[in-house]
Amino acid sequence: MTSSPVQTLTAAARAVAATKIYGSGDTEVRALDAIEVTFEQGRFTAIMGPSGSGKSTLMHCMAGLDTVTSGQVIIGDTDLTTLSEKQLTLLRRDHVGFVFQAYNLVPTLTAIENITLPMDLAGTTGDKAWIDDVVGATGLTDRVKHRPNELSGGQQQRVAVARALAGQPQIIFADEPTGNVDSNTAAEILGFMRNAVAEMGQTIVMVTHDPVAASYADRVVFLVDGKIVDELHEPTPASIRDHMTRLGA
Amino acid sequence: MLRLALKSVLAHKLRFVFTALAIVVGVAFVVAAFVTADSLRSTFDDLASDINTGSDFTVRGALPFADITAANPPPVPESLLDDLRAVDGVDVAEGGFFVDGVVPVDGSGVAPTTLGGPIAGSNWLDDESLSQYFLISGAWPQGSSQFALDLVTFADYDFELGRDYQVVTPTGPRTFTLTGTMQFGFPENAGVGAVFVVFDTDTAQQVLGFPGEFNQIAVRAAPGADIETVRDRIETVLPAGTEVITAAEATEEFSDAFETFIGPFQTILLVFAFIVLFVSTFIISNTFNIVLGQRVRELSLLRSLGATPQQVRRSVLIESLVIGVAASVAGIGLGMLGALGLEALLSAFGAELPDGPLPLRLRTVAWAFLVGIGFTVAASLVPALKASRVSPIAGLHEDARPDAEHLRLWRSVLGAVLGAVGLVLVGRGLFADFDSTTAQLLSLGIGAAIVFVAVAVLSPLIAGRVVSILAWPLPRVLRTPGRLARDNAARSPRRTAATAVALTIGLALVAMVMVVGESIRDTFTDSLSDAVRADYVISTDTFSGVPVTLAADLQAAGVAAAVGFDEYPAQVESPLAPGRVDDAELTVTDLSAIDEVADLGSIEGSLDGLDPASALLVHRDTADDWGLSVGDAVTVRMASGDTLAVNVGAVFDQIRPPFWDEWIIDESLHRQTADADRFDQWVAVNVDGDDPQAARALLDEVLSAYPQANLEDRQEFQASIESDLNTILALVNVFLLFALVVALVGIVNTLTLSVFERTREIGLLRAVGMTRRQLRRTIRWEAAAIALYGAIVGVALGLGFGVGLAVAIPDTVIDRVSVPTAQIVGLVAVAVVFGLIAAVFPSYRAGRMNVLEAIATD
Repeated sequence: MTSSPVQTLTAAARAVAATKIYGSGDTEVRALDAIEVTFEQGRFTAIMGPSGSGKSTLMHCMAGLDTVTSGQVIIGDTDLTTLSEKQLTLLRRDHVGFVFQAYNLVPTLTAIENITLPMDLAGTTGDKAWIDDVVGATGLTDRVKHRPNELSGGQQQRVAVARALAGQPQIIFADEPTGNVDSNTAAEILGFMRNAVAEMGQTIVMVTHDPVAASYADRVVFLVDGKIVDELHEPTPASIRDHMTRLGA
Repeated sequence: MLRLALKSVLAHKLRFVFTALAIVVGVAFVVAAFVTADSLRSTFDDLASDINTGSDFTVRGALPFADITAANPPPVPESLLDDLRAVDGVDVAEGGFFVDGVVPVDGSGVAPTTLGGPIAGSNWLDDESLSQYFLISGAWPQGSSQFALDLVTFADYDFELGRDYQVVTPTGPRTFTLTGTMQFGFPENAGVGAVFVVFDTDTAQQVLGFPGEFNQIAVRAAPGADIETVRDRIETVLPAGTEVITAAEATEEFSDAFETFIGPFQTILLVFAFIVLFVSTFIISNTFNIVLGQRVRELSLLRSLGATPQQVRRSVLIESLVIGVAASVAGIGLGMLGALGLEALLSAFGAELPDGPLPLRLRTVAWAFLVGIGFTVAASLVPALKASRVSPIAGLHEDARPDAEHLRLWRSVLGAVLGAVGLVLVGRGLFADFDSTTAQLLSLGIGAAIVFVAVAVLSPLIAGRVVSILAWPLPRVLRTPGRLARDNAARSPRRTAATAVALTIGLALVAMVMVVGESIRDTFTDSLSDAVRADYVISTDTFSGVPVTLAADLQAAGVAAAVGFDEYPAQVESPLAPGRVDDAELTVTDLSAIDEVADLGSIEGSLDGLDPASALLVHRDTADDWGLSVGDAVTVRMASGDTLAVNVGAVFDQIRPPFWDEWIIDESLHRQTADADRFDQWVAVNVDGDDPQAARALLDEVLSAYPQANLEDRQEFQASIESDLNTILALVNVFLLFALVVALVGIVNTLTLSVFERTREIGLLRAVGMTRRQLRRTIRWEAAAIALYGAIVGVALGLGFGVGLAVAIPDTVIDRVSVPTAQIVGLVAVAVVFGLIAAVFPSYRAGRMNVLEAIATD
């Protein structure tokens, strides 16, 4: 259980010498500094780091929302750095799932319409049985016809996770998905994500600064100054805090 | 607070420009109307004083009623000339002519045309300054076979000095040798848009049909003589029925005559300007509402920092004031450009205005600022009030919620009340009796405006549902983008309604014009085919008509019937109704032949055996109104002062103005009066049916001597009347288009703001895989859905107004309601296209949004 899962799992996404530079000359900032990282299929990875460490930039670049200055970002077999803006959009639609901190849902669409939005945009119907499973797992089966403003914050985030899952993407990126909710709701959302990985075999990468949230992951990657400085497998809140203290974060 | 307001304006330059744009167009319209009208006024004022520089008095026949715009003063006897010359203090007196409808034919057989200006026959005087006719080249005509022509016509058409040309005079076509060119007044008046055909005085008397008479006598006082004294002396020698006016009076009269054309021209432009401004008001109000909604946080911060509601309100009003001032200034600039454009348009039609700066009067500037600032500030009153009610903690929950229940009730009640008031005013305007047309039109206009406001108030109650229904195909055809487009259009009913109302007003007016136009056209077409029986109708573009010799020539050539028609202002009295005097349009024609070319309907009495010297035909309604029946005596007074004692010869029951009106007398009787000119407004012709081609050839041959006359068979005649109507309708619609353009600006404005407001949502959609193309499509069709809603409501209102107008307008003009379905459907389609066009900029902006920044937006 604890030994080298890396060799047995294939990569869902990876970064090769990924570098992101903002500005130039004196004002140059290296948000990502030749990062090498692999996110394996079927695992739940958390990215942690202090403010300005580049953890959000890493996620955005990995997800095709932003581009790296040099190096490569690969999802499945696709090198994102070779794609046009339109190809990136289609890649996000068909192969990547997203959960944001807030404002995840289109207010004019019902919960179920939000869940199937990427597929609807693609003009496909998706896997009906799978979608039913996902909706069942959210525990919101009787509320799917409601609009977002009729759902609680936690319910909204669960719908957002369901949307990310619905298309069975290569990988799901979650950006502080529990940043805006109380701890009980956070536990409910994180549990749902945990299950999606453990029982449904999905791949999730989550950016967070909350050790408790990160403890739901299989693996925690620590970022400081645009570099990966450490990582931790099968973390607990305590072990994460311990690592963070050592990193001076 | 002032600084805050200014900063707010500057911080959103684009929004500022779009908001101001609507008002700029309206102000520009106002300025262009005044400036063009003033420019025309000063042109004609200058012309009027130029004409009269060389003379001190004009002696002419007096008009007992009517003015010179409606009737020609009767001629004066030649013998009066010697009497005037004998008056102490009179230096020079000369008799002159000015007869419209004297048409020269150039070497290619073409008759010159003008834009409503006269084509006049006249005479030259030895004393050039008295007449202001100056010889430019060649020699003045001498004797009965020579004429001179004005310089501009000479240059523009195929004329050469020394050659013979035909001139169609009131006494028939005649041939003259062209001896010289002349100019009227000063060189800058060269292009006044008139044609002058000049003879010597004796020839003019003969060919213009005034033997032993003059149209008027121009008199100059001796140097140093007192004008008033000389005038009094002149009056002592004048026979009854003549008058003397000073040069100053003549100038004023001339200017006033043109004012009867310029005034309405200005008024019509101003009406369009106010329509544009009215539409703009809704757009500005909507923009302020949305913007202040988006600034709730900022406003509540201000309030929590201690700003009073008054200060908040004032800051909004100051912002609108700044926009109003800027829009007025820009509008004045654009208006001057518009006036230049109008001048170019007018000169393209041949009415050249003098060079030089356009007259921007203080009154014009004052109006520009008044309407520019007034409409903008008025539009911001409600938003300002709302802004001042923002509570200091409002920023914490700023969701735009739909109207609460009590607000909906309030809306329904206010809308219903306004709607009722508006409809009552409109109904009153349509059906009540008014002393003045202005009061009637004001009642209609204000009523319609209030109805539009009522629609704006009520529209949010239905906008959401109706838009959803109208846009039902979108999700089916365009899938998710279509679905989002429909829902976005329906999600904020207040905003959608407010955005659409500008389009609603524009389209309501266009649809109304279409219905009224179509109804007039159908009425006219039908009434012509059932009332005018003539095989051919001859008309002309010149104001006077065709010479009466044309009908005579046709009769002489052997056509079955050639009946001339003309109308003159008259006054009618009858011993049956003592004291009653009615102004009337008197139709003058050939009573013995009218039945052959016109269907007068059923007739009481008989048209056979009428005595042309004493018979009067009266329309049934008029006869009933007066209590007249066959045999009753009537007195008809002409503008020349002549009175005709006639008896009702027959009562008929079908009138068809402008072809024939309620009172008809015979032309032979009318020709005995000084009132008669030698022209027919139109001539109805019947030919023998045996050989239509030969008959047409005969007509063409006679008409070849009258190139200004248009010969049309029934179909052609109908078609040309329809095309005239179409031209007028098209012109009206072009002006209404400006209101639609302003509505377009309104949609652009709202969509841009909506897109800005939905930045985060757009970011989310893009993140989860919506392509730019899908996003642009969503916004485009949202705009189209809003436009469709505005168009449908507008067309419904316009149909209502149009049908109401068609019912209210007298049956002689409109006796049915016709709805041009295809055009109306086309109109709705155009509105949808307008919506798609309006979305170009906002959708481009949305597509250009950076996904990451959009998601991160607060």
